[in-house]
Amino acid sequence: MALGRFLLKRVLQGILVVWGVITVVFALRFVTPGSPINAIAPLDASQETRQAIAEELGLDQPLYVQYANYLFDLLRGDMGFSYIKGQEAAGLVFQKLPATLELAVAATVVAIVLSIPLGVLSATRRNEPVDYGATLFSLGGISTPNFWLGIMLVLVFSVQLNVFKTSGRGVGFEDVVASVFTGDPFLDTLITWLSFITLPAITLGTYFTALITRLTRSGMLDQLGQSYVRAARAKGLPETLVRYKHALRNTLIPVITVLGLQMGTLIGGAVITEAVFAWPGLGTLVIQSINLRDWPTLQGSLIVIGAGFVVVNILVDALYAYVNPQVVYD
Amino acid sequence: MVLDRILATLRNAVSISPRVKRNLQREFARSALAKLGLVLVVAILLVAIFAPFFAPHDPTEQRLNQSQLPPLGFSKTVETTSSEFVDGEITLVNETTTVAAKPEFPLGTDSLGRDMLSRVIYGARTSLLVGIMGTLLAALVGVPVGLLAGYHRGKVDDTLMRIADVSLAFPSLVLAIALIGLWGRAAVPVPDPFVAAGFAGEMPATFVLPGTVIIVVGLVNWVWFARVARGEALSLREEEYVKAARALGARNNRIITRHVLPNAITPILVLGTIQIAAIILLESALSFLGFSGTTLSWGFDIAQGRDYITSGQWWISTVPGLAIVLAVVGINLLGDWLRDALDPGIEGEGGGP
Amino acid sequence: MSREDFDRRSFLKLSGGAAAAVTLAGCTGGDGTPTPTESGGDGGDATATPTETATPTETEEGGDGGSMETFDMTVTQAQMDSGLDPQDHAETPTDNIVTQAYEGLLDRDKQGGIIEGLSNEWERVEPGTVRFALREGVTFHNGDPLTPEDVAFSIRRIVFDDVGIPSPQSTDLGAVSEVVPGDGEVTVNFEGLNPIVFQLFATNGEIMQQSWVEENDTDYINRNTNGTGPFTATSYDSGNEVVFERFEDFWEGPAAVGQLTFNSASESSTRVNRLLQGETDITVNVPPQEISRVQNSDVASINPVPSTRVIFCQMRYDVEPFTSQEFRQAMNYAVDLDSIIENVLDGFGAPTGQPTLEPFVGHNPDVEPYPYDPEQAEQLVEESGFAGAEITLQTPIGRYLKDVEIAQAVASQINSLSNVTCEVQQREFSSLVQDLTTGNIEDKPAFNLLGWGNGEFDAAQTIIPLLTTGATLTVLENDRVDQFMADAQSEADPEAREEILREANAFLHDLAPWVFLHRQFSVYGVSNRIEWQPRTDEAIDPYTASLR
Repeated sequence: MALGRFLLKRVLQGILVVWGVITVVFALRFVTPGSPINAIAPLDASQETRQAIAEELGLDQPLYVQYANYLFDLLRGDMGFSYIKGQEAAGLVFQKLPATLELAVAATVVAIVLSIPLGVLSATRRNEPVDYGATLFSLGGISTPNFWLGIMLVLVFSVQLNVFKTSGRGVGFEDVVASVFTGDPFLDTLITWLSFITLPAITLGTYFTALITRLTRSGMLDQLGQSYVRAARAKGLPETLVRYKHALRNTLIPVITVLGLQMGTLIGGAVITEAVFAWPGLGTLVIQSINLRDWPTLQGSLIVIGAGFVVVNILVDALYAYVNPQVVYD
Repeated sequence: MVLDRILATLRNAVSISPRVKRNLQREFARSALAKLGLVLVVAILLVAIFAPFFAPHDPTEQRLNQSQLPPLGFSKTVETTSSEFVDGEITLVNETTTVAAKPEFPLGTDSLGRDMLSRVIYGARTSLLVGIMGTLLAALVGVPVGLLAGYHRGKVDDTLMRIADVSLAFPSLVLAIALIGLWGRAAVPVPDPFVAAGFAGEMPATFVLPGTVIIVVGLVNWVWFARVARGEALSLREEEYVKAARALGARNNRIITRHVLPNAITPILVLGTIQIAAIILLESALSFLGFSGTTLSWGFDIAQGRDYITSGQWWISTVPGLAIVLAVVGINLLGDWLRDALDPGIEGEGGGP
Repeated sequence: MSREDFDRRSFLKLSGGAAAAVTLAGCTGGDGTPTPTESGGDGGDATATPTETATPTETEEGGDGGSMETFDMTVTQAQMDSGLDPQDHAETPTDNIVTQAYEGLLDRDKQGGIIEGLSNEWERVEPGTVRFALREGVTFHNGDPLTPEDVAFSIRRIVFDDVGIPSPQSTDLGAVSEVVPGDGEVTVNFEGLNPIVFQLFATNGEIMQQSWVEENDTDYINRNTNGTGPFTATSYDSGNEVVFERFEDFWEGPAAVGQLTFNSASESSTRVNRLLQGETDITVNVPPQEISRVQNSDVASINPVPSTRVIFCQMRYDVEPFTSQEFRQAMNYAVDLDSIIENVLDGFGAPTGQPTLEPFVGHNPDVEPYPYDPEQAEQLVEESGFAGAEITLQTPIGRYLKDVEIAQAVASQINSLSNVTCEVQQREFSSLVQDLTTGNIEDKPAFNLLGWGNGEFDAAQTIIPLLTTGATLTVLENDRVDQFMADAQSEADPEAREEILREANAFLHDLAPWVFLHRQFSVYGVSNRIEWQPRTDEAIDPYTASLR
């Protein structure tokens, strides 16, 4: 069926993009100042270590062989060895991935849950206090640097009011789920998890809440002014049906488009949020590896981030196709 | 000859039709927010350009014995603890002192005694310069790419858009950090024209332009311009006058520059304002994380002030943060005005921090 | 496992590719006792006399865990470790973490005096030979007993580049020539006298199990522990957190702490927040502006000790303009040290004018810190011929108390000279240290801020690694300094030796290879729920902590 073919096309395109990402990241090795060996070996490495790295990188072999080796290694999950940390790069990257995923998902959930109702409300009660409030909030939300917002939130809610934790990720979502099966008290674990994740999720999610509110509002206003809405009302359809089944559905189409495009911003925002809250995720790893000049880990992280972005976009495309079946036949 | 051609193209592109002018004026009169946006942006532009005159002190001058002074109206008593080192033992000495705000430092001083107001004023220069130059770079790269892709379609379009996809797969902040990490934080000291001309003698003679940062933020954001330009080109190529021009045998490049570009300019302009705001946020994030080539930046000050928020010197982080918010709000309001007036159909805010 | 993997693994096992930045936490050893003559006595008895045999002083208090209920503890430093291999690093933050699981032949008490470790009897047999008797009944975490072969292997792995890995600690035990395991004892031979050998072994030389090291690859060794110490690592989240559990069969008795967690936060405000929120029990480097907040809370309090760490800005002798002694001295005159200590550190620091701190052997009491004299500085710059020089000061971020602000103040004061321009470049600490510990002096930064902790309470242990030709961390090559040190290290009479060291310090004051800054004060924040005393050598020993 058409939807299947559409998705297949998207997945194939996605694979192409991921391959492009890997190629660019591979090329980075040769763009860094100094030889690729220097890029990977620490400065105090002995001659033998450098020899080993040179062999491992296959630097004596033609470029396409090196590239092919790199690709095949990646397929086996081998991202190289981080000589700086003395560990496999892949291990480091995948250990940090769940934390970032958790943060990103939490922020997105917060954003969607808050913004769409707010946007609809704002549109339907145009020019009333609710509208002004929402407009102001969303304007502020897209204009505030999220690291500053995070710091302010910590000041108010952690330090002064002592409601949330200041930093770190003591308990992860997997612990909450696990506590259902193990003997740990579920409610306690849940509350502890919330105390760690709430401020980071709000910090990361604010920009999106503001953005989606704005979009939903303007989209709804647009739709509500259209002829088909008037026609539906004239036909006597209940208002809620008009709003939510028709207008909202059409509004969501551009909203989802933008959401997909903004995934990159989400990940970028996650890096900053992780820095502010000492959240042990991929973002922190990226910054650490740059500062420590740990190129294998950096490359691995970039590939995972790029691949993740592609996956999310495919999912968004699927969602988009569901909401707007027309696009499948384009 | 070539220069004439380029100038003619640009003039063509940004020529504003009377209809557009009317739309702008009407929307402006109607909207209080648009007025506010214009006021904010003009104010910040003036402050940034004429920084040496607005700033009461040299923003880099340290006064170690006048550090952490509060802004006017926030004088307070603080408890400080210092130490005495006697016979190898440290004893803590508590004292309660009143720290009075001084009128010569209206927004207080930071941890090394530098004037906050002056730093905020000069910080505007960094943010605006990076924002504007970065956006220009992104537009200069993205618009031609997008126009070509949308106009020619087919293979050209596919290839260019795949490249754009790969580029988008790296979130702009992550890519920016990675590139700066690889290429370093090169900064260019630019002589300050006012100080060089002899005015405002006590101000710093040069202004540091974070070169790598500008190039990087331009490079990571070109895709947005490409997409918008492509979309415009795609629809415009079906217009009658374009088809007519092609039928008459005009060369493609000429068609693009003379017909397609001027009509595509409005959404590109709107995108441009959104991009400036986005790049200002991106630059402050990079400064905050320590990836900027200059230390006179709002983001840098916020990072410096982080250690002082909980000990009571909140203004070191708060003041530059508010500056960012005001600047970006102003630009966003201006962008909203442009969008509402020129092309209410534009959806989607391209770019982001 | 593919062939490629195998080759890499086996290669790494043999030559140790693990990098792990070596930082300059320096060989912070135990703090010596404040009276220099006592620790000096170590080097004095060159001829083997029974007095050299240390009477077993009391072992560290702690480890009541057997009888009491255990409690959990968390320690928050500014940085995490760079890998759990105790012999492949040189940073205090890493050292503090790995020494929970690994220990050396000797140890130190809170004041820095030398006490028993894995050895319960030690003596100098001849001028160049020492013998350590090994305690009985010690096991590694995996249950295997500690053998003299393990001790010999560990020392050789540290000292010799071709055994195991090339270790950054290779000079930390002295010039070892041979290690001979015996029956319940180990004999170590040196080239030369090594007058402070027991000082060195009290601070350095963690013992690992030979078979465990040889059977596992670098990756494994850096993520797991198998030592003889009171704690064993159960969970390792690189760069974020290490969790230890107490080792029930620890030879001194199990710890009172059941679960010990080490994490980190490089922003001081984050550390203090965690302390006050009860999320951590010990935190380091509380900045002066936060001290009142901690003191006034009923959750935690401040525990300051003068550290054995000296803070300075070192200048590479072979890079212009630092090739000129006048220029280097000018830099010292340009800095208003008193103002920095008073205003940036709120008094938490003591000014220095020589590489050796006051209570150390070899400190020269007649040498004063450079006064603040910008005019003199400018004049000296003119005389040096490098007027108009542009220099960059590199500084780590958040490693030492207020390091960035100190660097900014120093750079700004130098910059305000009319004939010098100076700016600051911030560096990640491990990365900076990597640059500093590279073999070639050309790869090192020209001008950077640094701290060096010297737990041996002896001038030689600062001057030799930092200021002599060819030493791992040196930025100086000066024949007279080298001569001073060679003389000192072969001088058997402690008073004569101290005289040599005093002369060296006076010479170094004038030579000015550093911009001399201050002695750091370690300001610890300690939760009121536990009872714990900090050590001057910046080591952290939760084994000695107890619940209040």
